[in-house]
Amino acid sequence: MLRPFASSRALFRSAGTIRNDYVLPSANPGLRHSFSTSVTLQKKQLPPRPKHPPESEIEESFLKGSGPGGQKINKTNSAVQIKHLPTGIVVKSQATRSRTQNRKIARDLLALKLDELANGPQSRAAVVSEVKKKRAASRAKKSRRKYRKLAESQDDEGSIAEEAEGGEDVEGGEWEEISADSVEEVKAETEEPQFLDRAKVQSTESSITKNK
Amino acid sequence: MPRLPPSLFWRARREISPLAAQLLPACRDLESAANELRWIREHVQDTKSAIPNTLRVWKLVDKRARGVPLQYVLGTQPFGDLEIKCRPGVLIPRPETEAYTLYLASILSHSQPPTHSLSILDLCTGTGCIPLLLLHSLLTNPSTRDIPIHIHGVDISPHAVALARENQAHNTAVLHHLPPPSSSGVRYTLDFTQQDIFSPAFVPNFLLQDLRPKGPALDLLVSNPPYISPRDFATATARAVRNYEPRLALVPGHQRHHLSSDGSSPENEEDEEFGQRYGCRPEDIFYTRLREVAAALRPRRVLVEVGGWEQAQRVVGLFLGGGGSGSGDDAGGNYEVEIWRDEPAAGDRGEKVEIAGREVAVRGVGKGRAVYLCNDDV
Repeated sequence: MLRPFASSRALFRSAGTIRNDYVLPSANPGLRHSFSTSVTLQKKQLPPRPKHPPESEIEESFLKGSGPGGQKINKTNSAVQIKHLPTGIVVKSQATRSRTQNRKIARDLLALKLDELANGPQSRAAVVSEVKKKRAASRAKKSRRKYRKLAESQDDEGSIAEEAEGGEDVEGGEWEEISADSVEEVKAETEEPQFLDRAKVQSTESSITKNK
Repeated sequence: MPRLPPSLFWRARREISPLAAQLLPACRDLESAANELRWIREHVQDTKSAIPNTLRVWKLVDKRARGVPLQYVLGTQPFGDLEIKCRPGVLIPRPETEAYTLYLASILSHSQPPTHSLSILDLCTGTGCIPLLLLHSLLTNPSTRDIPIHIHGVDISPHAVALARENQAHNTAVLHHLPPPSSSGVRYTLDFTQQDIFSPAFVPNFLLQDLRPKGPALDLLVSNPPYISPRDFATATARAVRNYEPRLALVPGHQRHHLSSDGSSPENEEDEEFGQRYGCRPEDIFYTRLREVAAALRPRRVLVEVGGWEQAQRVVGLFLGGGGSGSGDDAGGNYEVEIWRDEPAAGDRGEKVEIAGREVAVRGVGKGRAVYLCNDDV
């Protein structure tokens, strides 16, 4: 696991030296650790949050049950529904117990929708969803790469482990049956870069738990 | 209360959670059950405890399912930008109160000469929600931010006064929604006192001597008094209100002992007769007293919450001198009178009614919720 912070630092450093292209040596020390693409993406300015439309264009209604209201009842429904009169867009918020908060949230949502209507792909909502999509894709790609690498190294490890254990009863080099201890031994023998190693230990643990 | 179909329970169980099905009898519909369950879970996640979260959610859902108001279950109710603590024994702040309080604050901000100070008196303050939200709104508005503000809240219940003070501390020191009164550039006072407004000594001793010996005129008298008749309390209130909220804050009646000086025993008399002693219906008793207070203090503005359109009309008539016990004063003389509906800020349609020979403007949409009197000449 990557839990101890100090060791994950070391991991990042080694990663940095491998991807030399991303590190600007001594020119800007602040950028030294910016090795992931998502960080640079975020640095690019998102379009600002769109402003609320003027109150004169909004028709607001509070959803309430029938009945006398006031002290006689005690409703917890604080839903707010607003309609933008020029476009007819209707937005509802019942996210919080606070009516004041729901009014703000509904106006935020309406502003985003109007921005999307006016600016299309350049609108904040579109850009944000684009960034999120890219991030998800990059995450998926990273994890694919990681597991492919693991699968490859598993085959290697399997054979090495077999040798290390003196050909003990390890059926077809089945990774799952090797204890974490044996992996540590393997690590000592094969001098691999540290970060790969850690990934392996992690995968062992997860696969062991999977086995259970 | 109509019976909920079993299919609704199945849907709640399948689509949301068995806990939502448990909440259904109290919440009455799927959407509220889902919302309340989510709020209970959020509350449990946001607060720390030695008890496991799952167990705490379980316990709170069980409590809510027994009909306890959600605000008592979670201990708070949002009110404007503030968070008001709620406890059994003190009335829970209502959204209608929030709406007219914010509207009232905007009126005060817009019509205030910049060098003036503002003094406000809130009777039957309960959790202290009205003074706290007024103060917050006035302090966040640029036109009233720099003038001295003095607010006083009064309630008969010691529980309410203690909770109101707690709410002041909670929103000042814990949540930082309000600046501390001693901080630089801020000049305000906010105090809560336990007083029985029906006691004969209340006006001469407390209001005129203790509270404002020679101070400037009162800018605002505001009150959300008990306004439900005993009959309505038994038939027209929601079960959660009737079973869990304090009757003292809802139904006039505790002040009977002030009448017993003449030898009769008003404790046993019928409610209708009891109201007769004040020359009004039993649910309007507090307004007769509020009118006396207004006549003594002559505030620039008065705002009182009412329980509906009929009561709003009666209270307007009362303040304009058309009824009440002591009609020798001229409490309603020079006041402009308005009736505010549930949402006073929503679309002004120029609605007007005539009451006691006077034209009364009606603001907003919804049920009749408050009576507002304003006299800018004072």
